[in-house]
Amino acid sequence: MNSFINRRTNVKIAVGALVCEESILKGDITIGPNTIVHPKASIIAEAGPIIIGEGNIIEEMATIVNRLPVDAPEPTTIPVQIIGSYNVFETDCTCEAFKVGDCNILESKAYVGREVELTNGCIIGASCSLTESDTIPEDTIIYGSECQRREMHGKPYPPISQIEFLLKILPTYHHIRKPNIVPTKNEGGL
Amino acid sequence: MSYLNQPDYVCYVCNCGSLKPISKIYFCRHCSKIRCGYCVCQEVDSHYCPNCMENLPSSEVRLKKNKCSNCFKCPCCFQTLSTRAGHVPLRVAPADAEDSKDVKTTPKKVYYLSCSLCRWTSRDAGIPDQSMATGGWPEQENPHTYRINTLIDYHKILASIEKQQSEKKKFRPKHPYMQIAMFRITSAMVRKHIGHPTKPTTESTDQPSPAVASTEVEELPTDIFTEPVEVTKITTLEQRLQQPDIQTENVNELRPQHRQLLVRRSQRCRVCEHNLCKPDFCSQSAKFKIQLAAFYHVPEVRIVTCEPLRPGKSSELLLKFCNPTQHQTQVVLLPLDTPMTPILTIVDEKEEVKQDNAQQESESPNLLPSIVRQVPVVEETKPIRIIANADVVFPQNCLILPRRDDAAEYDDTGDTHNFQDDPKFVIWRKGNKAVIKLHVTPHENIEENNNRPVVIGFVMQYRYVNTITTLEHKAPQKLDLKVKLYLTIGNIVGSA
Repeated sequence: MNSFINRRTNVKIAVGALVCEESILKGDITIGPNTIVHPKASIIAEAGPIIIGEGNIIEEMATIVNRLPVDAPEPTTIPVQIIGSYNVFETDCTCEAFKVGDCNILESKAYVGREVELTNGCIIGASCSLTESDTIPEDTIIYGSECQRREMHGKPYPPISQIEFLLKILPTYHHIRKPNIVPTKNEGGL
Repeated sequence: MSYLNQPDYVCYVCNCGSLKPISKIYFCRHCSKIRCGYCVCQEVDSHYCPNCMENLPSSEVRLKKNKCSNCFKCPCCFQTLSTRAGHVPLRVAPADAEDSKDVKTTPKKVYYLSCSLCRWTSRDAGIPDQSMATGGWPEQENPHTYRINTLIDYHKILASIEKQQSEKKKFRPKHPYMQIAMFRITSAMVRKHIGHPTKPTTESTDQPSPAVASTEVEELPTDIFTEPVEVTKITTLEQRLQQPDIQTENVNELRPQHRQLLVRRSQRCRVCEHNLCKPDFCSQSAKFKIQLAAFYHVPEVRIVTCEPLRPGKSSELLLKFCNPTQHQTQVVLLPLDTPMTPILTIVDEKEEVKQDNAQQESESPNLLPSIVRQVPVVEETKPIRIIANADVVFPQNCLILPRRDDAAEYDDTGDTHNFQDDPKFVIWRKGNKAVIKLHVTPHENIEENNNRPVVIGFVMQYRYVNTITTLEHKAPQKLDLKVKLYLTIGNIVGSA
C-alpha cells in the first residue's frame, strides 16, 4: 500500500494529459498536458526524474528510460531526462536520450542511446539505432538498414489530429490515471 | 522454406554437371533428364511493373524505355513513391473593395509524391504540386537527347544499308526486268539495279560528328579545399547511378525516377525445346501454366539425423525419402561409379518397347519451326568439384515408395500398405515417405580441425512413370532413371 501511495505522489500528470492505467510508470515522472501514454508503454525514471512536455504520443511497448550505463561512476548531480513537446514514440521504440527536443518521431523499434541528444524535427526510422554519443542536427531523418541520414525540408507536423482522436477514443476502452497537477504549475517545470 | 534459407545439404547433380538443391532444378519430362537454371533457355515472357502490376507488350516497353509511366521511385532511397493529397488554401484575389470582406480561401486538393521510408517529397525537390492525382509530373530532360537521337538515326541507316546489301546477295535474278514486274520495287531499288548511285552525298552528311577524346580536365574549384563538406547535401554514388543521364551532385536536384519494369521468364529445355516452366501471363497471378520442377517428379531426399562422425568409424545416417509423383516408385541406392544411362524397364504393350527405345535415343523432336528455332547451345559438362570423403554401405534391397496421396494426411486409420521391409533398413514409413538407415564411414585422413565437412555421394536410381508419352504411344513408359546426389552430412567430431 505504501508503494502505491509512493508511486502516485511521484507521478505528476497535468490536466489534459491522458495516461492509461496499464502503462508502466516508475520513479519521478512529470507528464505535460495533452500527452498521451498508451497502455503498456513504460516510462522508467531510474537514475533521476523524467519530465515529459506537451502533446507527446507514447505508444504501446515504447520505453522511455532514464538510466545510467552499468559501469558509469556515480554522478555528482542527478541526471534529469527532459522530453519536449509533440514527439511521437511509436510502438516498441526505446528512448534513453537525456534530452529530446520538439516534433521528433521515433518510429517502431527505433533505439536512441543515452549519450544522444535529439534536437527538433528529427525522425529516427524504423529499427534504426543510435548508440554513440551524438547530437542529431535539426530536421534530420535517419532511415534504412544502414541508418542513412538525410536533411528534410521542414519539420514533421505535430500530430494534432491524432492526439484529438486518441483523447476521444482511449477513455472509452481503458482506465485512465487521474491528473493530479494543475497546468499552471506544470509550465514552470517545462 | 527451409530450402531457401539453409545451406544446400543435399545436392542433385544436373546433367550439365552443376550441383543444385532439388528446389532449383527442373525435370524435363520429354527428355527424362534433370535440367537446371544454367542449362535451360531463358526467355522473356512479359514485362510488368512491380508496383502497379501492369502488363505491357514488348513494343510499348521499348517505347517507354523499360520504365513504367505511372509509378515513380524515390531518388533518395529507391522505394516506390506514393501520391499524397494535401489541401492548399487558394486565395481568390478580391476584384473589388466591396468583396474584400469575404476573401474566400477555397481549399483546393493538390497532390505530391512522397516516400514512406525516407520521407522525401516532391516538394523537397521544388517540384510544383499537381492538381491531378494521376500525374503530369514534369519529365527530366536528358541533356544528351540530341546526340543520342542522331546516333540512333545513323545506326538505323547503317542497318538498312546492310539489310539491302544482304538482300541483294540473296537473289540474283536471271531476269531482272521480270522481277520488277512481279514485285513492286521502289524507284530507289530500280536505280540501284541499274547502277545509278542513289544519293551518295546523304550518307556523309548523316554521319554524326565522332566523339572526341580529351585529356584536359576542368580544374577543381579553389573552395573545395576550404569549404567544409556537408555530406547530407551531396548525392551518394548509388543515387547518381540510379539516374545515369544526369548524375546530379546536389541532393536537392534529385528528381523522381520512373519505376523500372521487371520481366517474367519462362524456361525451355535446350535439347527438346519444350517449356520447363511457364508462368501465368497475368502479372498478379503467382501460378504457373507449366511447372516441371524436379520437386514434383524426382524423389526428395532429406537428412534426418546423423550420429557423430569420427574418421574411420562407422556412423548411422538416417535419410528420408519422399515420392512426389502419382505413381509408385522404387528407389535403389548405388555407388557413385554406376553408369548413368536410363534403363527402360516396362512398357505395358510389349511391341512398343522397341519403338519407344528408338524415340528415347533420338531425343524428342523439335517443336518450333526452323526459323524461330535457335541452334541449341550445348555446353560441355562441367566437372564435379566436390569429392565424397566417406564410404557408404549400400543396401542390397530396394525401397518402394507408394504414390502421393493428398487425402492421406487427413486419414488417421494408418497405412494400409503391406511392405515387407527389412526393419534394419527401413525405420519408419508413412504414406509416400520413408526413412532409411545407412552406415557411413568417413575416410581416415580427415582431421577435425581442417573444417572440411563430410560429404557422401551416391547414385539414386528411381522408377519414373512417364505419362507424357501416353498421348503419343497410348502406354505409359516406366523408366529407371538415375541421379547423382552429394550430401553434406556434418563435420568430424573428435579423432579416431
